[in-house]
Amino acid sequence: MGEFKVHRVRFFDYMPSAIRAMAFNSRSERLALARADGAVEVFNFSDNYYQEKVVPGQDGRAVEALCWVGQRLFSAGLNGEITEYDLENLRPKYTMDAYGGPIWTISSNTQGTLLAVGCEDGTVKIFEMLETGIQFQRNLDRQKGRVISLSWHPSGSLIAAGMMDMIRIFDAETGHATHRLLVEKGLGTSNSREVVVWGVVFLSDNTIISGDSAGKVQIWDGLTGTLLHTHLITKWDVLALAVSQDETSLIAGTSEGTVVQFQFLSSTMGQQDKDWVRTRTFKNHSHDVRALVHTDTAVVSGGMDTQLVVRPLLDKVDKNTQESSLRKITFPHKSLVCCAKKAGMLLFQFPDHLEVWRLGDSDGNGKPGDTLPVNRKPEKLIQLNRKGEEHICCSALSPCGGWLAYSTVSSVRLYRLQHDNNNISINKVSKLPKILHSAHQLCFSSDSSKLFASSTNSSVIILSLNQSECKYLHTLKPKSDSRQPIHLLFPSEDGKWLATANTDCEVHVYNLNKLKLHCTVPVYSSCPTAIAIHPTSSNLVTVHADQQMFEYSLVQKEYTDWSRKLQKQGLHPLWLQRDTPITHVTFNPKNPAHIILHDTFMFCIVDQTLPLPEAKAMFHNQMMLRSLPEAERIGQSHAFKICKTFQHLLCVRLLEDHSVVVVERPLLDIQSQLPAPVRQKKFAT
Amino acid sequence: MKMESKTQSDNFNLVLDSSDDEAPEEVTFEDSRAQALRSMKQALETARREKELLKEKRRKRQELFQEQKKRKLLPVDVLEEIDSAASKKQKESEDEDFSHGDEGEEDEKTMKRGKKRGRLANSRNLKGNYTVTTVTKEPAASMQQRAAEDFIQSRLYGPGSCRSTNNELLSLQNKTGRNKGAAVQFVKKDWASKEKAKAEKLKKRWIHKQQVSSSC
Repeated sequence: MGEFKVHRVRFFDYMPSAIRAMAFNSRSERLALARADGAVEVFNFSDNYYQEKVVPGQDGRAVEALCWVGQRLFSAGLNGEITEYDLENLRPKYTMDAYGGPIWTISSNTQGTLLAVGCEDGTVKIFEMLETGIQFQRNLDRQKGRVISLSWHPSGSLIAAGMMDMIRIFDAETGHATHRLLVEKGLGTSNSREVVVWGVVFLSDNTIISGDSAGKVQIWDGLTGTLLHTHLITKWDVLALAVSQDETSLIAGTSEGTVVQFQFLSSTMGQQDKDWVRTRTFKNHSHDVRALVHTDTAVVSGGMDTQLVVRPLLDKVDKNTQESSLRKITFPHKSLVCCAKKAGMLLFQFPDHLEVWRLGDSDGNGKPGDTLPVNRKPEKLIQLNRKGEEHICCSALSPCGGWLAYSTVSSVRLYRLQHDNNNISINKVSKLPKILHSAHQLCFSSDSSKLFASSTNSSVIILSLNQSECKYLHTLKPKSDSRQPIHLLFPSEDGKWLATANTDCEVHVYNLNKLKLHCTVPVYSSCPTAIAIHPTSSNLVTVHADQQMFEYSLVQKEYTDWSRKLQKQGLHPLWLQRDTPITHVTFNPKNPAHIILHDTFMFCIVDQTLPLPEAKAMFHNQMMLRSLPEAERIGQSHAFKICKTFQHLLCVRLLEDHSVVVVERPLLDIQSQLPAPVRQKKFAT
Repeated sequence: MKMESKTQSDNFNLVLDSSDDEAPEEVTFEDSRAQALRSMKQALETARREKELLKEKRRKRQELFQEQKKRKLLPVDVLEEIDSAASKKQKESEDEDFSHGDEGEEDEKTMKRGKKRGRLANSRNLKGNYTVTTVTKEPAASMQQRAAEDFIQSRLYGPGSCRSTNNELLSLQNKTGRNKGAAVQFVKKDWASKEKAKAEKLKKRWIHKQQVSSSC
């Protein structure tokens, strides 16, 4: 496997933002997720929960609710605006003021023709869906008190609105309130403290289910407006409710971090009268659960502890398979770290600023596993705060460490960094070409003479960099008519090739000498999560969300023999069961047969000269190999060498001096910075 | 008539006798008048002197104030600098509208060696601890937004919400979990450094107190 000097970096204070709202599109199997900083993410549940898209947030745009209408995604927030997102260009398409004060909730009818929003001033506003936007239609009768939650009856004729101390049912046609359901206060609370109905669900059999701040889940008859059942499930708030599409299962998320499931069952076998019965409790969060989605097979929950948890409900399955195991998604599937491998510098991307660090140094020598004394401490060279309100969506540092670029949804900025031993200066490159107004992904060529920026319709803009100026060279366009954004860019070491991957799973390779498309790799059904071109053999390695790996020869324009062998034999089951995607691929210049990959929990060196592991072979065999005598090792070893010493990895890179940089972010550090959890009494503590 | 006066003086004597054993000192009218005048004069003088003192005090204070005020005022050149800078700034921001050819120095950067060269768009640092800031008006929408955010905050984390700390939660996990461990603040060295420093200080004080009490 080889020995490396490792820079173990733990000074990247990455702090994910709390999950505020979620919406699931069951037709395309996409989950939209909004965070407290206003960022909206899209996960593809049919492709291993891969985080396909991220729309960066903006200061002051706190998203409070999300809603899919067909393939269109809408959000509403406390700034009083409704936003539709352009998921092809990863930016808000337009925003529209609802003129009702802060908006708490947004919901569309099942037909997808009307959109209702609940406002702070007590109005429910109905918007009509148009081809190009939305148009205000009318207000329902204005009530006193804010509208916190909304739910349409599946027929689209009635709307239930959760308010302070009550639920109101509106007739969607006339706009009049037909019923008023009073929600009682919790026991032992003062009379002045109102009950907030955080969640409401309207079922097709006219049952209304509500979750409130007194910790109750209540079941009401919507026709008569009477209370049928009360389930007290927590001492704190019930913050979120969700129901499955067939309306047989309901989940409620609480401040305690639990998700309680109710099912529509008959109390005795064979009888017809069914009732909502509390069945199970899941505790996968340490903090408040603020957003819930009930898909056909799983409970998806998120909240203040920033993790997205997918808990499949396949209980009859005995074997622990990929589909039945719990998933926790903590880190973004896109790298937030950029490494200048010639200069030994790291760039950390935060939503509101960038940090450039110089790695420490040590000249000590030690045995494998030793900690070397640090001669020179790592130091923060620059903290660059972004300008404007929009958050940073991508950033790049050139391999020489002389250029720094970042992009927001509306502008790209390029800086020239100059550093000798003690001084560092940073200058903005003032005149960028007009064509470069935003980028989904930025990348410098390995000799730092070019900047690649992915733009609209999967095109790539090439800019040449001189001493202090920046000139437009060319725009590369794929032959296909995909409109999806490029999420991966990789220029080859020799400057000849540029590989791009978009969320339509297309991988294009351009010849940079001729400035035209060289080839398109056969499209694989799963989205690429990392791509890289080998520096000497010019083979393109792609790793996909379903953990498959391919090697494609750019010279012969076909898969290599090793790739065919790998596909024929299949990857080891333990490799396929990993639940985080490979986020970076690189090569070892000392040994061209080595491919270095990493995900959140391990990094792996694939030795192409060694035989591939059989499905029944021991996969993690390094310990065993160490115990064997030298002669027997060769017979036992296989291609995958996995190192799990470093955990919660955000980045693994190889520097020019053959040392490895690993950037870790221990979960404990993140947990310690979260807001306060509820106080729970545990027995015998 | 004479009889009457006699009896009167007798009465007078009687009264005096009863108050003092000695015979009354004879005080002439002149004397008593002079004394009365003197005391009156004295009283007037003290009043005048007090008034003067007060006046003096006030004057001194006034002088002090004026001097302080003078000290507080910025030098003329600094004031001029502010004036010119403000107008320049305005021009710059006007320029920015059509070309984003603004200088990179406007972004806040923290340079190496902890030297802050940061300047916000609407504030300006001068020599010493003075900051000149323009007041930005807040629109009503953001007021409402803040009120709504405060509502959530008070609902989830306000009084009566029964919250503990992350430290407690994680320590409880360490205690009840499969791998038993100490509380987080002991496991993680850099946790709660402020509280630890305070505890250390209190401990030292306690030890010192113990020693003092045992020695005497």
